[in-house]
Amino acid sequence: MKNSTLKILSVAVIAVILSACSGDDGEDGATGPQGIQGPAGPAGPQGGDGDDGSQGAQGPQGPSGGFGAFNVTVTNLTHGQPMAPSAIIVHEPGYNAFMSGTPASLGLENLAEGGSPMMLISEAQDAIQFLDAQPSSGINGPGQTTQVVTVLVPELDLDNVRLSVATMLVDTNDAFAGINSKDISNMEVGASMSFIAPAWDSGTEANTETAATMPGPAASAAGGGGDAAGFDAARDDLVNAVRIHAGVVTSANANDSSLEGLSTSVLNQSDKFDNPTARIVITRTR
Amino acid sequence: MMKFTKVAAATLLTLAATSASQAVELQISVTNLTQANYFTPRLVVAHNADVDVFEVGQTASSALAWLAEAGVIDDAQNAASSGQNFEALLGPTDTDNGNNTWHRFGGLAAPASTVSYPFDTMDKPYLSIASMLIPTNDAFVGLDSIEIPTEPGTYTYYLNAYDAGTELNDELNSTRTDITAVGGGALGGYALPGVAGAGADPIAPSMGTGGMGVAVQVGFDQDGTALGSATEVVDGTDGPVHIHRNTLGDTSATAGASDLDSTVHRWLNPVAKVTIVVPAS
Repeated sequence: MKNSTLKILSVAVIAVILSACSGDDGEDGATGPQGIQGPAGPAGPQGGDGDDGSQGAQGPQGPSGGFGAFNVTVTNLTHGQPMAPSAIIVHEPGYNAFMSGTPASLGLENLAEGGSPMMLISEAQDAIQFLDAQPSSGINGPGQTTQVVTVLVPELDLDNVRLSVATMLVDTNDAFAGINSKDISNMEVGASMSFIAPAWDSGTEANTETAATMPGPAASAAGGGGDAAGFDAARDDLVNAVRIHAGVVTSANANDSSLEGLSTSVLNQSDKFDNPTARIVITRTR
Repeated sequence: MMKFTKVAAATLLTLAATSASQAVELQISVTNLTQANYFTPRLVVAHNADVDVFEVGQTASSALAWLAEAGVIDDAQNAASSGQNFEALLGPTDTDNGNNTWHRFGGLAAPASTVSYPFDTMDKPYLSIASMLIPTNDAFVGLDSIEIPTEPGTYTYYLNAYDAGTELNDELNSTRTDITAVGGGALGGYALPGVAGAGADPIAPSMGTGGMGVAVQVGFDQDGTALGSATEVVDGTDGPVHIHRNTLGDTSATAGASDLDSTVHRWLNPVAKVTIVVPAS
């Protein structure tokens, strides 16, 4: 034990002596940090204006040059009310497809009772403010969006143009979703606007909710419906004026003690709706 | 150069005219969008930010209760409301009351009708409107503190129906004599159950009788326990101020739950359209 300890000590002493006599140079130290940047020199003199570029070649004229084009869709926001084809009308201010508190036109009565947008469009075409109008095609079911409908507005009118849309809720007597004369002036190409529409009561037919007075599938299922149950010239509503629809009563609870329901109604809970009932999106494409 | 000078001068004139005008006379139009509810006289208030005619989620003031239950705004309509109505809350009518100025536009506004009037805002920045729907227990249509536009033009607002929450919606005809409030008091009026209140003319068309009550039943307390008298009905509150859930109604003029007609007296929001014309200054 003692020996081995001494041995190690002596080896260590020899090593120290050796290194003191003939050691190698150490490695270079790490590079120091870069010095701070000096102050910026004074600005040089400004250069002269460049020459104007030459005018580019004129693009080819589009097939409907001179018009702005707008794509319109209508989305049905109700739970169970199919919507008839929409009347989509662009016009200058002054024309009104409908006005709250005012009797409906015959064209609107046709749309709201029978579902056809054509007479309302025809009335719009007769107005001096008319620019363009198109119907959407077919029934637009609950939760569905119509196909894109394109309407054209002359460039000269793009700074003062309005959009009106109306579509019948077909399982009602005379309810329609609609917007009247919304300002879509000065939309840029590519820009979109969105409007939400309540359900209006056209005020042209009593809301009896019977199979004989509504054109839609709820009435058809009860043995009525169709064109015969649509338009009726008589105006027998509470008030002969357009206002917000009060909703359908339906036959629910017609025979319990509350007597809340309407026993003559062929509608049920799935036909009820609340506002808003439609969303209209318009996008300028050209 | 000449053109530029002209434009600058015109701008200065416009600025001067704007700052000189101390009052803006708005033209306010209200269209009743319901099919069968009348609007009682309209309270129109121009005010500062510290005045609230109503606030959703907050308990109604006694002034709002008088308006929503009885259509009452001021002492001239109903002396019993003195000290509790909007006149007491806001100050004299057609006066610059510091933080507000107000006016009662009289008459009932029928369903689908439009009423229109000029209103001097006396430079207050906000506008509120309130009016009771009759026949209801305590429904009112409200415009809630909109900032009055300063740019000349026509502005449109759609208004909802609110429940003041100060009276249970029993939907019982306040002219009935076969039932009474607890204690034998007459139906109708502020703090009593009833449809059209004491300040508002009862609106009878299509209103039935004989209903047994909707939110509370004749002869029963709110918790369903029988009252001592089978011909009395209790009142209670269902606040705070909130969006009205609409009336129930029924299709019987002599029985059922309600004295309202479910095919007549219901509505969906919005119940009113307001347009404000800000004149060019």
